[in-house]
Amino acid sequence: MIARDRNWLLIFAICVALAVVYPLFAGGYQLTVIRDALIFGLFAASLDFFWGRTGILCFGHAAFFGIGGYIMALVTLNDAIPFGSLLGIIGAVAGAAFVAAIIGYFLFFGGIRGSYFTIVTLAMGVICQQAAVSWSSVTGGDSGLIGIPPIEFDLGSLHIDLSQDLPSYIFVSAIVAVTVLALWSISRGRWGTVLTAIQDNEVRAAALGHNAPLRLLVTFVLSAAIAGLAGALYVCMAGLVAPDLSGLLLSTEVIVWVAVGGRGTLLGPVLGAIFIQRAQQTISSFNPSLWPLLLGCVFVIIVFVLPDGILSIYARLKALFKGGRRAQ
Amino acid sequence: MSDILLQAENVGIRFGGLQALEALNLTVRDKELCCIIGPNGAGKSTFLNVLTGTLRPTSGSVRFLGHDIAGLPLHRIARLGIARKFQIPSVFPSLSVEDNLKVARWGAPSPVRPVGELLELVALGNRAATLAGELAHGQKQWLEIGMALAIEPRLLLLDEPTAGMTPQETLATADMLLRLKGEFSIVAVEHDIRFVRALNCETLVLHQGRRLRSGPFHDIETDEMVRDVYLGRR
Repeated sequence: MIARDRNWLLIFAICVALAVVYPLFAGGYQLTVIRDALIFGLFAASLDFFWGRTGILCFGHAAFFGIGGYIMALVTLNDAIPFGSLLGIIGAVAGAAFVAAIIGYFLFFGGIRGSYFTIVTLAMGVICQQAAVSWSSVTGGDSGLIGIPPIEFDLGSLHIDLSQDLPSYIFVSAIVAVTVLALWSISRGRWGTVLTAIQDNEVRAAALGHNAPLRLLVTFVLSAAIAGLAGALYVCMAGLVAPDLSGLLLSTEVIVWVAVGGRGTLLGPVLGAIFIQRAQQTISSFNPSLWPLLLGCVFVIIVFVLPDGILSIYARLKALFKGGRRAQ
Repeated sequence: MSDILLQAENVGIRFGGLQALEALNLTVRDKELCCIIGPNGAGKSTFLNVLTGTLRPTSGSVRFLGHDIAGLPLHRIARLGIARKFQIPSVFPSLSVEDNLKVARWGAPSPVRPVGELLELVALGNRAATLAGELAHGQKQWLEIGMALAIEPRLLLLDEPTAGMTPQETLATADMLLRLKGEFSIVAVEHDIRFVRALNCETLVLHQGRRLRSGPFHDIETDEMVRDVYLGRR
């Protein structure tokens, strides 16, 4: 096993251990704060799986988060549908994947890459938010939908009820851990290696027999499906869904989380999401107008000084000291 | 007739007002080695692009094992058994040498040679873990040949395989190809005469998009007309 993989697994294990012991020290409110941050972390990991592996930036990822959220809300709020929570999650994941498949098909097979892809997905996010506002008979318009029940379903003989703080925290942590681990094993194996090759030189990869547009499309769809899952989890925990959840601001924030945490690391974006939201709450509590200014500055500094994210500080320091020794 | 692998008949291509290629014929038999030479701008690379199906000829046809390949998606052409080495070394710089070869094998319908054997064939056995972006220019060219071999091609098309190489590297590359001769067909586009001389095979000379001469290299080399074209006298 190469050192980079070992380090990743080590950091992953430390994060899981911290998540396990955290409830011993934290009260109910703090648990729900971390739980919600973890859901956004899952959302950030979903963007990173696509952006980090393909180098193509999706600027409308919140659209999939929002689609997942609205589908979950509509399914669970409808009393006629049995097994609401379970069907809602499946519907949210499938709905986000479906929209991504349609849009992605035309973009990838039409040869749209780079900034053009970013611009089209930006428009997609705006359209989704507008649809959520305007289609008020279904989506509740600007005020959204409220009273979404907590997740509750039977898994064999096990009854899962997430109306309490601790069970919902455990459920969300477990989903985030399993998903991040799964995405990591996909992206370090054959699938990820070919994606890196496509990112380096798509024409070359195709000349070697790889169907590059199809591979990009499947990666995009998987990424959107996980964003939809995150959206579904979030609306059940928050109890409401609103147009903001598919909006431009959230799409921008998730990019900042990934950039700060370290693109391509999957774990970094989860940590980035948690830290930045934590900082947001602390700073906004004494001056609400200070936060956007600070966020912007942090983003600019990260892009210039640490383009590989905060997790790269260690590697950078190591390189610095090694370089220093060689110079002597 | 059944051993004909690639047949280009009466191929012509126009870019706007420019007739880039005109009435070209080429037949490549199974396991045959041949070269296409010509001065800069003669249409060598354009012809190679037509042979690989990347460019659709405006007249004539290109058939590989009897199928018309013009306009097929790149990955389909690769899976038919046509491998191509590009003029500019295009390896995957952020992957290791070994991963480059792995990516190439994964694209193949039925890879045979293991990565270790490929590494030895292209003289990169001791650079397996090096990032391809950090290789020397000549080694990148060899890695690319290795990647083309990994897909177990029926036909290998090389676009200026020795561009930018030192004379020693050029001869080592010719040796490499001579060793592979007899396993599959090879078409090399080149303007380095030393390399073509080392290969000493059937040669097609292009000039201004047309066939100037074709035949065994020693006949070509002594041809007065070819010399004139190469020296810029015509």
